[in-house]
Amino acid sequence: MFFQQKFRLLSLLIGIIFLGLLSNIYTLQITNRDSSLLSVENQTLDTFYIPSPRGEIYDSNNNKLVSSSLEPHLFLNMRKVNSDNQGQYEQYIKYNFSELEDSFIDELFDSSSLLVKITNIQNLNFDSRQNLASLDAFEIFDYPIRKYEYNNIASHILGYLGEPTFEDIQEFPLSENSNIIGKSGLERFYQDDLAGVPTKIIFKDEEITEIIKGSPGKDIFTSLDINLQTLATESLLQGINLANENFESRRNIQKGAIVVLDIRSNEVVSLVSLPDYDPNNFVDGISRTEFNKLNIDGAFNNYPIQGQYPPGSVFKVVAYWLAEVENIYPEGLSSRNGRIDCKGSLAFGFDDGSQQVYNDWKEDGHGRVNLGSSIQQSCNVYFWDIALKIWREYEGTTAEAILQKYAKNLGFGSMTNIDLPYEARGVVPDRDLFEDWAISQPERVRPEGWLGGDLMNLIIGQGAITATPIQVANAYRTLISGKLSSPYINKDNQNQSESSIGATEDFVNFLLKDLNSVTNKGGTAYASFQVLGNKVNDVGGKTGTAQNSGDKNNTSWFVGIDSISNPRYIIATVIEEGGSGSAIAAPVTRRVIQSLRGMEPTPVNFGEVTE
Amino acid sequence: MINRKITLLGPEGTNVTLLIIFLLLNFISWMTLFTLSDGLNLDLQNSLFRQMVFSLLAIVVFFMITFISMEQINKYTFPFFGLITILLIFIFATDPKEGVRRWYDLGIIDFQPSEYIKIAIVLFISKCFVEKYNIFYVGMLSVFSIALVFFQPDLGTTTLLIVITLSMFLVSEVKTRSILFLTLLGGIFFFVFLEFGLINSYQLSRITDFFNTVDFAQSQSRLAISSGGITGQFFEVDKINQIFIPVQSTDFIFSAYAYQFGFIGVLLLSSLWIFFFYRVAKIVLSTESDFEKFILAGFSASLIFQIFINISTVIGVIPVTGMPFPLLSLGGSSIIATAVIFGIINRIFIENNVVI
Repeated sequence: MFFQQKFRLLSLLIGIIFLGLLSNIYTLQITNRDSSLLSVENQTLDTFYIPSPRGEIYDSNNNKLVSSSLEPHLFLNMRKVNSDNQGQYEQYIKYNFSELEDSFIDELFDSSSLLVKITNIQNLNFDSRQNLASLDAFEIFDYPIRKYEYNNIASHILGYLGEPTFEDIQEFPLSENSNIIGKSGLERFYQDDLAGVPTKIIFKDEEITEIIKGSPGKDIFTSLDINLQTLATESLLQGINLANENFESRRNIQKGAIVVLDIRSNEVVSLVSLPDYDPNNFVDGISRTEFNKLNIDGAFNNYPIQGQYPPGSVFKVVAYWLAEVENIYPEGLSSRNGRIDCKGSLAFGFDDGSQQVYNDWKEDGHGRVNLGSSIQQSCNVYFWDIALKIWREYEGTTAEAILQKYAKNLGFGSMTNIDLPYEARGVVPDRDLFEDWAISQPERVRPEGWLGGDLMNLIIGQGAITATPIQVANAYRTLISGKLSSPYINKDNQNQSESSIGATEDFVNFLLKDLNSVTNKGGTAYASFQVLGNKVNDVGGKTGTAQNSGDKNNTSWFVGIDSISNPRYIIATVIEEGGSGSAIAAPVTRRVIQSLRGMEPTPVNFGEVTE
Repeated sequence: MINRKITLLGPEGTNVTLLIIFLLLNFISWMTLFTLSDGLNLDLQNSLFRQMVFSLLAIVVFFMITFISMEQINKYTFPFFGLITILLIFIFATDPKEGVRRWYDLGIIDFQPSEYIKIAIVLFISKCFVEKYNIFYVGMLSVFSIALVFFQPDLGTTTLLIVITLSMFLVSEVKTRSILFLTLLGGIFFFVFLEFGLINSYQLSRITDFFNTVDFAQSQSRLAISSGGITGQFFEVDKINQIFIPVQSTDFIFSAYAYQFGFIGVLLLSSLWIFFFYRVAKIVLSTESDFEKFILAGFSASLIFQIFINISTVIGVIPVTGMPFPLLSLGGSSIIATAVIFGIINRIFIENNVVI
């Protein structure tokens, strides 16, 4: 039975409650409005930022190179810590998180931040977390964890994270909030994409009043092949060990670089720099001693794009190209097939009548050589003859710098603009540069200025010229593909501008054939490549052994091509003070080529010493 | 009994007043969410767009429920109550979210059975009263389902369910003093359980805290409501931005509404609801079916006390309980459950030939 009377009574009761609530709202909105507006005005709000998970980084086979995850962390609300309860919280943290160092805990309480991160509590169960949360000053927030899945491998490409410095903040203003920034590598180059939007925690006095969720960063899909990267790193290390065993050097050799570019797309497939580091060590902050040790070893330098070395004989392709396009051959020759008699030295007369004698690395000479066999045997005299021809014809005119012009057209002397930070540009010297240096750095140049001898040095990649491994790899890639463009790692950069250098198909075929002759019978690198068996007919490369000033050992260079019939990859290898290019860098490159062609990689063995 | 053909739209298919009130209340929610979001975005992350989608769904649900006759509702009351109770039991097998087990994760949306026990318990008690089941068993079954909600834990819904049950018992033939006596007894048991640690004291910290400290969200909410004044901030040029209230689009949406539309807005919203309850009360007194009377009384109690608890929370006269404001708060479960209630009420109106 439904009782109407009781229903009426209940309705009346509800009506009274309603009037009570309404009068309360009336008091708030009408009577107390002015005083409320005043208190609103006096409120101050502060914001604390918690970084969002950074975008993940993948290789071309979708292997995850860098992962991000969120894990709950315990934070201390510093505004709720006072002299009365500080001891209590200190004890509590020490007791519950015995793994934390005392000095760390002491520092926590000195922080002027709104919130300080104490520790990861991923492994605590719900009840323990609830217990922590019941203490007033403890807060629990998800905090991103960054993991570099392959540790040291590709560390220079990926980069590492750290707290932003004043300069970092000027470059990336958004990083100020999240308190984390990419210090190098892709982490830095794509900082704004990777970082996402941090979560905002709004404070009113000591209370957290609102949490505005941020959003995670964008993932990056790279052109890298982590398996090749691993093998290339291993091979380079073998090469470095080989150099240490075979050359007497005051210093222990440990620096080197490998660049692998895809010729068709100019994607970077591998980029190795040694010595390396494990970016995971930076995630929770690295100790000063560890940092200093890495710094002294030069582990933070990304040698493939920052190491500036005299390129030595690998630079000879520039003159090779110039000779073919401009028809400039040694005096008396009119085509690539004409031969000179290389006696192992060249005498060069100065204007004042004095003579200077230039000696080839092979004292008794290479015999009768043409353009192709000068590449095969790395004959210096043939290229000096070309330099002399240029000098005699164009000295003092604008055309005097024709070799430099060809070098610059292949990308020497300027950054390749790869998507990594801190790239070096190298140096292509000419008369103007020497005049500048005469003023700014007089110790680097002779008072006479730019001379024919400088051009002769330049044509064989010696003297003042320096280039980075990526520039050299990109120059070879440009000659073979006929197009100059920037190498890239992030696949999003696919559609970028290319400029044609006008290389004919004939030229490319000759070049490939001549590069093959280097690794084939009679070539400087044959000793390092003969393990390939009949495949030596289908690979190519160029050795380089660049002299350094002072007591430094030679820089060991090799630029390889995985296939002549179907060129797909350019591999450039450098070992700083590694000695002969054919002996050290060539077998390292050979091992990488074996992997690229699906062959079983054989160990890096000492090759023939040539220049 | 019904003597007209039911159609989807038009005066012969639905009670026009009820439909208009339902749409207006939805519209007020959109207006409020509009002021809280950065405008409308066709993206489910955008709270305004989300609510619009929910509103459309709710309108569909409203009409679908209207097609179910009271005879059928009567028939399916026990299975429905049983189903929801079973869902409430199995919720303890799910993974807790932020320490509570309250939702079934259905992919895009979460299903919250405690929203539907509010409906099921009203139907269940109504049917039991009309068909003269043993009052003691009815009470025990109701307490059992309420206990399931309590241990989720969901203090707000528990309180509401107790109030709904009490209200329905109060308008029945059960003696008022027995109800008061049993309520008192329940209260004593509760504190005995508490003493023996059978109830997680964490759940109650909010209540005890309420008497010791001023809840920040509530004090901010009071400031926001107060800043609204007579006409609200919506039409002001210089707006006040220094107010931050957690869950402003859900449980604290009333303070955003009062802030934006002022006391006039509050009166407008109140008038809509008062008019609605007045119409319902008229049917309660005029219909011949006791089943309908109890249902209308129970649903009214449900909606009225949700509103009361919500307003009391945002103006800081009771502790924070986490109670949404029906049809105003952002949230799918609440709006759909309210649409079901409106649908059933609409059906009762139609069956009583109340069209306008």
